[in-house]
Amino acid sequence: MKTLLTILILSTIMNAQFKLPKYETYNLQNGLTIYLLEKRNSPLISLSFTVNAGSIKDGENFGLASFTAEALKFGTASFSKSQIDSTFNFYGSELSSDAGYDFSIVSSTVMKEYFDQLFNVFSEVILKPKFDEQEVIKRKQRWIAELEQAKESPRSIISYYFNRLIFAEGIYSNPPQGLKSTIEKITPEMIRSFYEQNYHPEHSALVIVGDFNSKEMKNKIESVFANWNPQSDRLVYDIRYQQKSFNKPRVYLIDKSNSFETTFMIGGNGIPMSNDDKIKIEVINTILGGRFTSWLNDELRVNAGLTYGARSRFASYRFAGTFAMSSFTQTKNTEAAIDLAIKTYNRLFEKGIDEATLTSAKNYIKGQFPPNYETSNQLASFFVQKFIYGLDDSYINDFEENINSLTVSETNQIIQKYFPKENLQFTIIGNASEIERVVSKYGEVIKVSIDEDKF
Amino acid sequence: MKKLFIIIFISITIQAQVKVEEIKSFTLKNGMKFLVYENHSIPNANMYLFFKVGSRNEQIGITGISHFFEHMMFNGAKKYGPKEFDRVMEANGGSNNAYTTENITAYTDWFPSSAIEVIFDLESDRIRDLNFDDKMIESERGVILSERNTGLENNPMEELWQTVQATAFTTHPYMWPVIGWESDIKNWTKADLQNFFHTYYAPNNCLVVISGDVKLDEVKKLAEKYFESIPKGPEPRKIHTVEPEQKGERRVFVKREVPTPYLLITYHVPQTGSEDYYALELLNDVLSNGSSSRLYKSLVEEQQLAIEIGTYYPKAFDPTLFYFYAITNDGIKSSQLENAIYQEIDKIIENGITDSELQKVKNQKLMEFYRTTQTINGMSNTIGTYELFFGDFKKLFSAPDDFKKVTKEQIQLVAKKYFNKENRTVGILFTEEEK
Repeated sequence: MKTLLTILILSTIMNAQFKLPKYETYNLQNGLTIYLLEKRNSPLISLSFTVNAGSIKDGENFGLASFTAEALKFGTASFSKSQIDSTFNFYGSELSSDAGYDFSIVSSTVMKEYFDQLFNVFSEVILKPKFDEQEVIKRKQRWIAELEQAKESPRSIISYYFNRLIFAEGIYSNPPQGLKSTIEKITPEMIRSFYEQNYHPEHSALVIVGDFNSKEMKNKIESVFANWNPQSDRLVYDIRYQQKSFNKPRVYLIDKSNSFETTFMIGGNGIPMSNDDKIKIEVINTILGGRFTSWLNDELRVNAGLTYGARSRFASYRFAGTFAMSSFTQTKNTEAAIDLAIKTYNRLFEKGIDEATLTSAKNYIKGQFPPNYETSNQLASFFVQKFIYGLDDSYINDFEENINSLTVSETNQIIQKYFPKENLQFTIIGNASEIERVVSKYGEVIKVSIDEDKF
Repeated sequence: MKKLFIIIFISITIQAQVKVEEIKSFTLKNGMKFLVYENHSIPNANMYLFFKVGSRNEQIGITGISHFFEHMMFNGAKKYGPKEFDRVMEANGGSNNAYTTENITAYTDWFPSSAIEVIFDLESDRIRDLNFDDKMIESERGVILSERNTGLENNPMEELWQTVQATAFTTHPYMWPVIGWESDIKNWTKADLQNFFHTYYAPNNCLVVISGDVKLDEVKKLAEKYFESIPKGPEPRKIHTVEPEQKGERRVFVKREVPTPYLLITYHVPQTGSEDYYALELLNDVLSNGSSSRLYKSLVEEQQLAIEIGTYYPKAFDPTLFYFYAITNDGIKSSQLENAIYQEIDKIIENGITDSELQKVKNQKLMEFYRTTQTINGMSNTIGTYELFFGDFKKLFSAPDDFKKVTKEQIQLVAKKYFNKENRTVGILFTEEEK
């Protein structure tokens, strides 16, 4: 049995390598970047428009980029909000728009036979939004109620508290969805001004992937987007962000008095999207907390039965990033689970990674890679990332070589360089009256109530 | 769920890209049925194993055991001991998951096609010779208690859902949650697990669907080599319990501190594939699919009574529930939202739906079909779901005609037939009861 297992683990998978399909990219006269990829296995077309403006450009108006993206759908020169919704739905589609930290995106998946009808509405939403005041007022009211309700799910909001701890007042500490107090202050004028300063062709890309003919598609794009020449000046941002290191361990304790479970994230600084070692770091993170048999999940879940799941991840943005291990456990097991997470993490530095484990992780990542680019939407997401973060095609095309080239000795260098060892930062949501004493042993405690309008 | 929730979508088609003849089928001598869809667009494949067992096959005392069993399927067999199933699969580039519903348990493997034989080896080992390690049973019990806890901690609706289900059903096993009652989770035994395995995990109670970069001949050879010698089991006992007709509204209140009230309303409706199924399925979309749907447009956007609203008609072997769920907007009483939902239902009962709405929901069904069938995972899940719930995967290809036949009048009729007060259970979750 043991022998068989070893053979299975040590053999490296040799697959037909997955490559990015042939695509076309060019710029319109006004600077708008276009990506076109024909893919004909299903009669769908994926449409994405992205602009290089996310919550890091909110300034003090947290949530403004997100609200602006949503407000694009509040009505245009020719269509009311209700007409936009019903047109997309009638043809079986839905129009979505949103903003994250680094960029905003408007997207939809449409059936090819209805492309013209929907592309017409899609482009008006981007080029001629009206930001109707009544719609803004109504949406603000619900948005605020949603923010309040979101705190009922510690797991889905903990990363905003964690980012506040890591970035302090820096650009990635602001929640993209905003706060009640900042959403309250948003006006149609502020939305219009954010739109006019940021939604410019030279800052934007249109990505179309699916069942179409490129020559015809170029004409359609030209006829709608070539005349897009905003009169207002675009705001030029000078974003230079230097990540700070930490001089002591800290515990950001968020008190939710009716919690019966403790939710936690432990970590520190990570890497920006542009980091050259990204794929190699991913291999090591897979071993630590990126798959079912990862060390964290194996220890906290499989061996100890303390949690349903434990993991780790690098979250990378344009100018910075974070690293975090995360899990959750019953209140009474808080200390046992956090202690075990830290102990397991320290294995990276104390024992490092052996050849068999490294080979297994490489095989796993390579084997799971192609399904990430199976659909038109998935491929469109790659081009959005390419445009926003400058990802190179080699990310996909040389993925396997990059993975294969990682050696055991190099893993140790990567661990030392990128995985924070000292002064870990803890974010913990739970019933403070029961866990405050326990968690204070991990570092200096900063305590807030989950009811406060902040992260 | 081993790791995540996976929602099953059933879809229809008018002009399918995939043709019915592309799906091949064979059955081993022991009754294990295979459906195979070859597609070479990426160098990957998957294997979905559906067992016809879920929480409806349980009794009080062992509620949740089908889901617990699903977890135990990963904890060691004869050839591959504890932890080795996942270790070997991941080392070969594969990953897996599983989910349990009231009706079925599904195991899903995703792998580079070169690893197919390893997957057959792993799957046949656990189906033939699952082993129950005492230590693994205890740690897995903790995992499941955490899974149950984390669901309740992060989603107040889940707490309300469990209470409403247990109120709407008084007799049928759909009354308890798939994850089971806490006291049962803490007390089931190794003997319960062994008994469960012998009753339900026979090859003749399993459907296997394989899609992706594979060859039918190779799949057949591997199936014979690894699965055919597993002995056939006796037919599991049929579920004969029928939920009696509900004869009056039932109301429940759950006390929990939340910013605004949560609301869940259910009506008893027939099972998947029944005569009224297609009309109910389209009615479900009319009510809540998309930003122009009746409930979203009226109650969220126009009247601002809710911040979230939806309807749900689960796939089920036995008569089930049609759910309306909503979270009240700030400053709105649950009774206001509840009455507004009834008004929307009454509008359909009195005036029916429009031609344009009928066309819209048919288009939405078509889109859903294209979206699910554009991946090999979507294909396996959809083919398997049709085979199980409609008795034949070919129903996937006749579904367009089945949906096309539905008229506005039929949709109005099913609304009238099922959405009435006597057939209704209402649940409200909030910090305090409305005065």
